[in-house]
Amino acid sequence: MIHDATTRAWVTLMVLSGASVLVALTGGASFGGSVAGALILLFAWMKARVILARYLGLWRAPAWLSGFNWVLGLYCMLLLGLFLAPDFIR
Amino acid sequence: MSFPIQVRLFRLCRGSTVGSQEDRLDDKPDNAPVNALETLPGDLIMWVLIVSELLVFGAGLAAFLSVRITDPSGFSLAQARLSPTLAGINTIVLITSGFLAARALNLRLQARRSAARWHLAGAGALGAVFMALKVDEYLEKAGEGISTETHPFFTFYYLLTGFHAAHILAGMVILALVAWKDDPGDMETGTAFWHMVDLVWVLLFPVIYLLG
Repeated sequence: MIHDATTRAWVTLMVLSGASVLVALTGGASFGGSVAGALILLFAWMKARVILARYLGLWRAPAWLSGFNWVLGLYCMLLLGLFLAPDFIR
Repeated sequence: MSFPIQVRLFRLCRGSTVGSQEDRLDDKPDNAPVNALETLPGDLIMWVLIVSELLVFGAGLAAFLSVRITDPSGFSLAQARLSPTLAGINTIVLITSGFLAARALNLRLQARRSAARWHLAGAGALGAVFMALKVDEYLEKAGEGISTETHPFFTFYYLLTGFHAAHILAGMVILALVAWKDDPGDMETGTAFWHMVDLVWVLLFPVIYLLG
């Protein structure tokens, strides 16, 4: 168990980055490009949350952290929509 | 005393004023309502920069995926020319660099100045490793005859990763400066810039290298 929040954030970021690459390399074949894309963007959003909260110190300002989380979450959903758009247009 | 308008606006946004002693924030009673901007950690102007950079890169990435709608197979073929593994290694390098920068600030706040400086040096060195891998990637692409004109994918690729790399270079200079003049406030602002570069990369990396 890691007690230091900064180190815990670093380990979380490492795991999420590794998982992103793993999903990109194997996920498309395993469970389709759409699910792989959604997972990759979910991991990106989670990484952004960790950096904002722990490295940029927003854990001390929960209202701001929540605001950033919402906006980044909506933005990642926009990116997912744009990524999936060609499948719906075809 | 006369202050430039930017300073007056900045202080006004922070909830303080440039006026007389009795107007100052320090003289507010303990139960006075707190300005929302005052709850932001660190320097307000750095947060303005962070939001600005997120908007610029965010617009760039949205434009990238919008143009991809017109030619998804072409974008997929172009993306196959990149190495997600190498970009993943660069992500680990940058994340570790951010970790060292965050630890440097913690150490400085504990008055462990020498250790803080070494951590900043490590963060900067990993920034240099990131740049070396990025230059190697660019040289490899140039060797394959890939330029900004090859395909719209590569126009965005060079534009977005190149602009980000420019921020890495600027961040390395800033880390060196705050290691040299190690005022805790300056160090907090300098490392915040580095974390912003980190933050932009964790959004840029999956869109350019992984989504395909």
